Amino acid sequence: MTDAMYHKFVKRWEEVTDIPPQTVGPLTPAYKTVVSKLKVMPWPVLVIVSVAVVAGLYALFGSAITLLVSILQKGF
Amino acid sequence: MAHELLIAGLLFGRNFVGIITRPYETYRRIVTKGSLWELGYIAALCAVYFAVASVIKIAAFRPFILTRQFIVLAGAACTTYIFMVLLLSLTGKVLHAEVSARRLLLGWGYTLIPTLVWFWSTSILYILLPPPRTTSAYGILFSVVYLVFSAVLLFWKIMLSYLTMRFGLRMDLSKIMHMTVMMVPVIGWYSIVLYRMGIFRIPFI
Repeated sequence: MTDAMYHKFVKRWEEVTDIPPQTVGPLTPAYKTVVSKLKVMPWPVLVIVSVAVVAGLYALFGSAITLLVSILQKGF
Repeated sequence: MAHELLIAGLLFGRNFVGIITRPYETYRRIVTKGSLWELGYIAALCAVYFAVASVIKIAAFRPFILTRQFIVLAGAACTTYIFMVLLLSLTGKVLHAEVSARRLLLGWGYTLIPTLVWFWSTSILYILLPPPRTTSAYGILFSVVYLVFSAVLLFWKIMLSYLTMRFGLRMDLSKIMHMTVMMVPVIGWYSIVLYRMGIFRIPFI
């Protein structure tokens, strides 16, 4: 490994280990799996979760969701 | 100063793309290496938005009323930003976090990007497809798409807020959850105050 590459590696290592890695006890592997999908291009996950939330809202309130949208549209 | 502004502009552009494609890595860079000058670009985007929002809200060319509306919106957003940074600092101190004003100012500043995207798009849609929505098939379809879009931006905002606390205050997940529980009622109260004052129906946080 060249000196420049080694220094770059050390710098990156220090940057990554600056904050201790997050653990959540026995749920750590599941947490790591979820977080790894959010670290780079999180949009597919965000869209899937959002579609699920909105589908839930539609199942609960039916066409009354248009009322919520009308309120939100006036909310700016 | 011009030199610093130019560099900050390039950094802002890079970070803007970064929070879309690689939010985790980008936030780490923002809080450690970011420049406060970058906030100038976020402020400029907000100012342009408030100018446009004033015109849409007032819907008439009355310079005095438009200026007053702009000052009210910009003043309230500025106060909210300072309020949020102070709230993060205070709750961070209560939970014995490493509080750094610079890191919080930068971190929270970039969380305004999803807010701005939502407010911009809602304002534009207000002109193109003004409310109220009907319960026809098209009305429901638009409502579903709009709600999905809003939810995506909300989750993006929550993610960037989490990263602000994670890197800005160097906290772990349990402390971040404690902090969120402490902050939510205060933010709720603040949002009601803004609503009652007739400034923002949806808070510009």
